[in-house]
Amino acid sequence: MRKKTFAAAVLLAAATLTLSACGSGDDSQSPVSVVSEDTATKAATVLDTPFEKPDLVLTDTHGKKYDLRAESKNRPTLIYFGYTHCPDICPLTMNNIAVAKKSLSKAEQDKLLVVFVTTDPARDTPSELGKWLKGIDTQFVGLTGNFATIQAGARTMGISIEPTTKDKNGKLVSVHGTQVVAFSPKTNGGYLLYDQDATVDDYTKDLPKIIKGENP
Amino acid sequence: MRQFAVPVAVLTGALVLTGCGSDDAKAQLSVSSAYMPQPVSDMAAGFLDIANKGGAKDELTSVTSDLGPVSVHETVGQAMEEVKSLAVPAHGQLVFKSGGNHLMFDKLKHTLKQGDSVTVKLHFAKSGPLTVEMPVKSATYNPTTGH
Repeated sequence: MRKKTFAAAVLLAAATLTLSACGSGDDSQSPVSVVSEDTATKAATVLDTPFEKPDLVLTDTHGKKYDLRAESKNRPTLIYFGYTHCPDICPLTMNNIAVAKKSLSKAEQDKLLVVFVTTDPARDTPSELGKWLKGIDTQFVGLTGNFATIQAGARTMGISIEPTTKDKNGKLVSVHGTQVVAFSPKTNGGYLLYDQDATVDDYTKDLPKIIKGENP
Repeated sequence: MRQFAVPVAVLTGALVLTGCGSDDAKAQLSVSSAYMPQPVSDMAAGFLDIANKGGAKDELTSVTSDLGPVSVHETVGQAMEEVKSLAVPAHGQLVFKSGGNHLMFDKLKHTLKQGDSVTVKLHFAKSGPLTVEMPVKSATYNPTTGH
């Protein structure tokens, strides 16, 4: 996505250059390139009004009650809504974060809380979820529970999810969120938004800032 | 390997050229950029580009593999939907990429690791089947950056 914007901006810049060569003044080169640089290098959207952390009390991968607000209080926290029967975006998103996390110091890694909340609780039992997350990062927390509760929690973070349905072939179709939200250890507010195009490099660059609750 | 490695840029060039008066009314298919991100479970996604240099369209109707069932999915909004077939337009391409169309492997018979290779067979409505070696890349492989 950002690649495209960037390419388009470059083309646009080239076009403006060509145009300006046809005789207009000297003010036509700067704005386009400045804007394109910004969108091309920043993966995070800094929210003017941070999201409140959802008040979710769910079940973790050990089958224990997990109070998200209590457990994540004053910890840098990334929250994502997805499901394990998702072959593409969900494992990619979690793996991108897992790989980026490895470049943090041990202490920082222990501070960072990464929470995967299932959108498909019927199939993602605590043990299924645990098995799947173990293949990505053993420190990641997986939560499951009542779908309506999960959906309501997602909604408070601006993430819309729908229950699992059956398609015409009788196969189950689930829905994942499209964003990862980062919560600050200082304010506990969800202040950064990452879409599914965020790469390992993006997270590697930003995680040290998130650990401190700073803007990337 | 040779028939798979047709660079997209060259194809785009060919597209323009053949547009100016080729009359072969047959699909001419080739596959490139195939890969599978290292799966987390017995479920995996596969991605590739199918290019058609010919003047007729074709359709991908099914995909098979020794490793287990494979289905073809397109992403609609935040969900994926299984489809019966996908068109490979004349002088065009059918692209499978993360966040878009993907091959979905269900119940893989054994664990796959980066460096492994998966053989899949693509079946079409008109053209003969194509066998593709799909390398297993890292779980976070990004074809745009190549790592």
